[in-house]
Amino acid sequence: MKYARVYFEDVQVGDELPVLVKGPIQQIQLTRYAGASGDFNPIHQDDEFAKAAGMGGVFAHGMLSMGFVAQAVTDWAGAGTVRKIGVRFTALVRLKDTVTCKGRVLAKSSKDDVHTVDVEIWAETQKGEKVVTGKATVALPSRA
Amino acid sequence: MPIQLNRGVVGKEYPPYAITVERGKIKEFARAIGDLNPFYLDDEVGRASAWGDIITPPTFPISFRDETGLLLRDLGTDVSRLLHGEQEFEIFRQLRPGETYLCRSKVLDLYEKTGKTGPMGFVVRETSVTDANNEIVAKMRSITVVRL
Repeated sequence: MKYARVYFEDVQVGDELPVLVKGPIQQIQLTRYAGASGDFNPIHQDDEFAKAAGMGGVFAHGMLSMGFVAQAVTDWAGAGTVRKIGVRFTALVRLKDTVTCKGRVLAKSSKDDVHTVDVEIWAETQKGEKVVTGKATVALPSRA
Repeated sequence: MPIQLNRGVVGKEYPPYAITVERGKIKEFARAIGDLNPFYLDDEVGRASAWGDIITPPTFPISFRDETGLLLRDLGTDVSRLLHGEQEFEIFRQLRPGETYLCRSKVLDLYEKTGKTGPMGFVVRETSVTDANNEIVAKMRSITVVRL
């Protein structure tokens, strides 16, 4: 696994981020994520509860998928580069789903020696359904 | 019959709560996502880094939640009706293990819309995370969807 450090000058608008494939989602990962995040909503753990709630069964925490797309950004730009990341959750991720994270550079800007890059980010399941869409801003080092 | 959400929560600020970031919690969080970046997991790599210690994944502050139970009670709903609509993090500086932060949450807005699956309430919240010097470290904005 590579932990990239990318320079501002090497990034071009339109560049695509390396694709990050996560999953298949297993119940144990949702249980671990519940413990790690403190979100113990049984809708992510207990199939009967989720069915009774009208959700047709257990589904993954949206925040887990956001964690995946954030990883796609930091695997590319480096840990500690993210200044802002925001997403909409557009569909549910179910057990056994694969979540493929993608991204594309939207814009670059430099101000007061801070060099930032805006990227469009999204994730989709193996069915091609988008589960997360959003944007992130990273601050990158300059070669100058 | 759809439930009625209590609109009185708009503008409500919850009592600030303190969170101390634990080293093991950072690693547990990164591993739960399956993000094995050594800047989150390896103390040696952290020590040698520009930050002098391990840092956290960008979404880590989501674990700083204390007021959700109170909010649900105030709204008049329960977890079985919740969906996560949107989430945003602004990170002004890296969080560090061992530091204690103060989190302040406020309900900014509440609106209703009818979607394909029926009526839904949207609760917009903002949480600011400040350090011991009262400097802003991170800000979170979320939209929680309540199936009415």
